[in-house]
Amino acid sequence: MSDNDTIPLHPSSQSDIDEIENLIHASVQSGPATVFPARPPSPPRASIPVSSSPFMPSNIPPHPPSTTQKPQAVPVPPPLPASSGNGRANMAASGFGSPPNTLTEPVLDTVKRDLSRIVSNLKLVVFPNPFREDPGKALRDWDLWGPFFFIVFLGLILSWSASVKKSEVFAVAFALLAAGAVILTLNVLLLGGHIIFFQSLSLLGYCLFPLDVGALICMLKDNVIVKVVVVCVTLAWSSWAAYPFMSSAVNPRRKALALYPVFLMYVSVGFLIIAID
Amino acid sequence: MDLNQPAGENYANPKTCFFHVLFKAGALAFYILSALFIDNFVIIFVVTVLLSALDFWVVKNVSGRILVGLRWWNEINDLGESVWKFECLDQESLARMNKKDSWLFWWTLYLAAVAWVVLGIFSLIRLQADYLLVIGVCLTLSIANIIGFTKCRKDAKKQIQQFASRTIASQFTSTIQSALSVV
Repeated sequence: MSDNDTIPLHPSSQSDIDEIENLIHASVQSGPATVFPARPPSPPRASIPVSSSPFMPSNIPPHPPSTTQKPQAVPVPPPLPASSGNGRANMAASGFGSPPNTLTEPVLDTVKRDLSRIVSNLKLVVFPNPFREDPGKALRDWDLWGPFFFIVFLGLILSWSASVKKSEVFAVAFALLAAGAVILTLNVLLLGGHIIFFQSLSLLGYCLFPLDVGALICMLKDNVIVKVVVVCVTLAWSSWAAYPFMSSAVNPRRKALALYPVFLMYVSVGFLIIAID
Repeated sequence: MDLNQPAGENYANPKTCFFHVLFKAGALAFYILSALFIDNFVIIFVVTVLLSALDFWVVKNVSGRILVGLRWWNEINDLGESVWKFECLDQESLARMNKKDSWLFWWTLYLAAVAWVVLGIFSLIRLQADYLLVIGVCLTLSIANIIGFTKCRKDAKKQIQQFASRTIASQFTSTIQSALSVV
């Protein structure tokens, strides 16, 4: 498949060869800030095949299939929206009906996209959904914003509930959760499981959401019995949420080895919530 | 953006440049000043890390696109493997990028990381573990952006060279073909 069409050469091919040589010389110079020699005025059907899309998506995986394909062949010159890469953020997104043209979309679109991703990840991970597809494949678009907010929120609540040593409580809570997530991920990887580092971090962070809710309730109601009950419920919920992802990542015989530390971490957070005074 | 405007005279996107620098400078300034005035570690931590995270997002999603025309992200494909995607504007647009913009972009990126390292060394000397935590987080975010954009730029250069060599190859073949057909 070739979307770079070559158009039969004009008899004066020498000038084209020169043009190509200029292109090469320019490309082996320094970075993207290179200024190209001005193109000689040529009719739109230039004899040099050029890329037909305003941007060149690429990927560096070890294997060939690329998931973002270039769109249709549009005649040159590169259309106007390419120059909007320089323009202000408010310029309207140019769609050729092509795969996500994320380079030229307005900022608000990016914000909305990220926010909706957080919400959808949360719903996917934490809430019971009988129509959920293979949990190993869910959370494909991992992101770390959700986990970041949840960890900070939990730390803040714990710190607020503490009457003394607030700073230490916060620092300990944050470090425990962050380091815990990293170590749990390494644990799965070392057990020979197939999980992606950031995906797992993201998952463990999202599963903190029930504990966040529990901590909030515990902060508002100071009764010990209520606290214990609430923490048990939210703990069970968190573990239940994390279970399918973790268990599908490892060998079935090693499931318990992978899940037990997760459970342990959530239990320790639960204790922190109950014991905070 | 006319091509007639001499590059390097003005910033082409002053608003974006401003935001690009704002959050970085804000995080660093808050961290440094707060150590003198505010006694509450939690506030220092949360505000600094929040500013750093916002800066990360702004650089990755907004100023990277607008100032240097590069974008990087990570996806998980159907086989469950993690794939780093890089995107860059095509040649014409890259060439038209304002030099001052991209100079500012790269320099502030590197300088911010260096500043965090220096502050980290101070914290290390004073043996303040909790401040080291803050610095660790901010440094991680800065370095992630540096690595991402550097890889993206290398990828863009590779694209250019591949494109140029493909151009020669196809041009060469069609030259030969037309030469042969004439003969």
